Amino acid sequence: MSLPSAQDQEDSFDFGALRALVVDDSPGMRSSLRLTLSNFGVTKVQLAANAAEAIYQVKNKPYDFILCDYNLGEGRDGQQLLEELRHTNLISVETVFMMVTAESYYEKVVATAELAPDDYMIKPFSAEVLCHRLKSILLRKRAFRDIFRHFLAQELEDAIAACDILIRNQPKYVVDALRFKGELLVTLGRFEEAETLYQQVIQMRAIPWARLGLARSLHLQKKDEEAEEELRDVLERAPEMVAAYDLLSDVCLAKKDAPAAQVALERGVSISAKTVRRQQKLGEIAHANGDLDTARAAFTNALEKGRHSIFITPSDFGNLCRVQLEQGDLKGVAETLKKNRSTLQASPEGQLVTAITQGMSHTQAGNLQEAAKALDAAAGLRAAGTRGDANIMLDLASVCMASGRHDEADGIVAEVAKNAHDSELLLAKARRIYDEAGRTDAGASVLASATSEVRKLNNEGVVLAQRGDYKTAVEKLQIACSEAPFNPRIMMNAVWVILKYIDQVGMDAKMIEDARRHLEEAERQAPGHARISGLRLQLRDVESRFGVNRASQT
Amino acid sequence: MKFDGAVLYAALIHELKNTLGVLSMTIESIPMQNEPAHDHPVDAARLLCQEVVDRLQQALLVYKANNQPIHPAIDAYSPHDMVHELRDRTAALSRNRLRVEATLNPDVPAIWFLDRDLIEMALINAIHNSLSYARSSIRIEASMAEGCLALTVRDDSDGYPEHVLTSVATNTPYRATGTGLGLQFAKLIAQSHDNRGRLGELRLHNDQGAVFSLLLP
Repeated sequence: MSLPSAQDQEDSFDFGALRALVVDDSPGMRSSLRLTLSNFGVTKVQLAANAAEAIYQVKNKPYDFILCDYNLGEGRDGQQLLEELRHTNLISVETVFMMVTAESYYEKVVATAELAPDDYMIKPFSAEVLCHRLKSILLRKRAFRDIFRHFLAQELEDAIAACDILIRNQPKYVVDALRFKGELLVTLGRFEEAETLYQQVIQMRAIPWARLGLARSLHLQKKDEEAEEELRDVLERAPEMVAAYDLLSDVCLAKKDAPAAQVALERGVSISAKTVRRQQKLGEIAHANGDLDTARAAFTNALEKGRHSIFITPSDFGNLCRVQLEQGDLKGVAETLKKNRSTLQASPEGQLVTAITQGMSHTQAGNLQEAAKALDAAAGLRAAGTRGDANIMLDLASVCMASGRHDEADGIVAEVAKNAHDSELLLAKARRIYDEAGRTDAGASVLASATSEVRKLNNEGVVLAQRGDYKTAVEKLQIACSEAPFNPRIMMNAVWVILKYIDQVGMDAKMIEDARRHLEEAERQAPGHARISGLRLQLRDVESRFGVNRASQT
Repeated sequence: MKFDGAVLYAALIHELKNTLGVLSMTIESIPMQNEPAHDHPVDAARLLCQEVVDRLQQALLVYKANNQPIHPAIDAYSPHDMVHELRDRTAALSRNRLRVEATLNPDVPAIWFLDRDLIEMALINAIHNSLSYARSSIRIEASMAEGCLALTVRDDSDGYPEHVLTSVATNTPYRATGTGLGLQFAKLIAQSHDNRGRLGELRLHNDQGAVFSLLLP
């Protein structure tokens, strides 16, 4: 169904044209839902029995409406399916997603999650109720049409303006439009305005999502004391609000209170254990806190709950094995690798994780020959351009050093350090590796020479740009980029000066292409970094002012 | 494994509710034959089944609310949508036996803050009552009263018995079964809606029939 045009009657919908997908693990429920839908004219209905089938169907053809049971038996649940579909842009904000649940408790847990469905239905329900709910969502989407159009074109300022129009003109959608606008303001880094907006909603009523939004905008302005106070109070009243625990753990981390961050995540996990990213984060924090048992359980859960999930990468296997090694559980490591062999062998990154883990495991067991074989394999993969996350690369450096492969180790550390010249955490880990190997001085010099060049180029570039000499600034930062091709901060600075330069001097096709590439790399290395969306908007602005046709690019 | 009676109890109610849901759909699929001897019992079974489903929903709520206050999940909802949805639901339940109407006073705002599931649960209870006792019509209304949104179910039955009215008005318990149980619930649900210290209320009175009102601050 294409979105209805403005001439349409106020609340008429062509249900016959609506392409619907029903996801339910019970065949009986699937056919009875199909029957229910047909009662009010929704006849183009496809069926899926689980998340994997649903994703397959959605990839094959677009749907306007997905009706999904929350509980899908083994594998991913409805909420996980929703998150994957939205994250991978398989469905857009225009697609209606309704969750079917067995009880109203669901609402409290999930409605305040980062990604909420458009509405939910408590089983059993009648055709009349479903029809009403669907109609009112479609009406809402229709009212949001201009907002969505700008949002999908990434014209976020215009989307905000469209929200304001809706807020002024349609009292029924005031709260929905404020909610959407709040998210846009946060995306654009306008945290103070977001704070004001959420206060405004709270003035109407202290709804949990508004209080959560308020806490988030406070946290993003580094007002962490206030954010924590707000969150603790929210959780007192609504202890089942999982999203609040996630945010609370971020706030605690910002306050450098890692134990409290772990407690917050543990409480979140005890309410909803299925979210892969929550388990991953709990594992990382518990590991940093030295709580190996919790870290191991969390990393194990992440892998189990996230089977076939897009949120699982080879790093997750590496993380689990690292904890198992630290526990001295070599058998556990072998089992993890064996159990996930086919997944890991399927990608070069997975093969690298396997080789490094085996290298560490054999070294720990004293099988030096086997260890050398594994390290050779890792070196081969690296020579072919394969990289892992910074932690696993430092693991590799550490085990190389233990086997006396000092040059190789120094090279790896230098590479990690260049690409993370401003990450205290990683640099400290690198220093520890040298300390343990009794090469403290060598480490200091490797780290200094690796970071100083990048740091110097970066600082010079930024200073030059501040003085208005964008041309030289671009040159410096372009060199820094080739020195440290995976360093998100360098990439973002380079994008920033390139855009300044073009703004001043005029379009340069190669440079704008570089900017685009750097920005993509920054996003890969630091997904969701606060600066990225702003830079993306500036890039689009420059492109449109100089008439670059994005459609011709991919 | 430890035997956890409470968890098992909740799971059991769940399963019963779902099974009844299927039973209810099965009954709905029995075609009417325009023959009272057949149609009336089928219709009665259908209504009864729906009522049991709705009651089990309450049972789950009681179970969760056991010894702790109900925490409503408040958000902005359209009273307009709610009233019309309930009208259609009621019309479907009554299968044209009764006239079902919806009235929205012009002063009712476009949105109100409430827990839709809980409020609908309370109202559908009152509706089941009216379906049993109304002579010819049921009306679902939204209006404003004392700064609150009033959601009302009104029928043309003989009205509530005196002891029910007194007990709800004076907050004195009486032997709560059937209707009484539902009313206790509605009261708890209304009171769980708290806006800056002002609590929601359940009000009952008789006015050419039973009038059931939830006042939400």
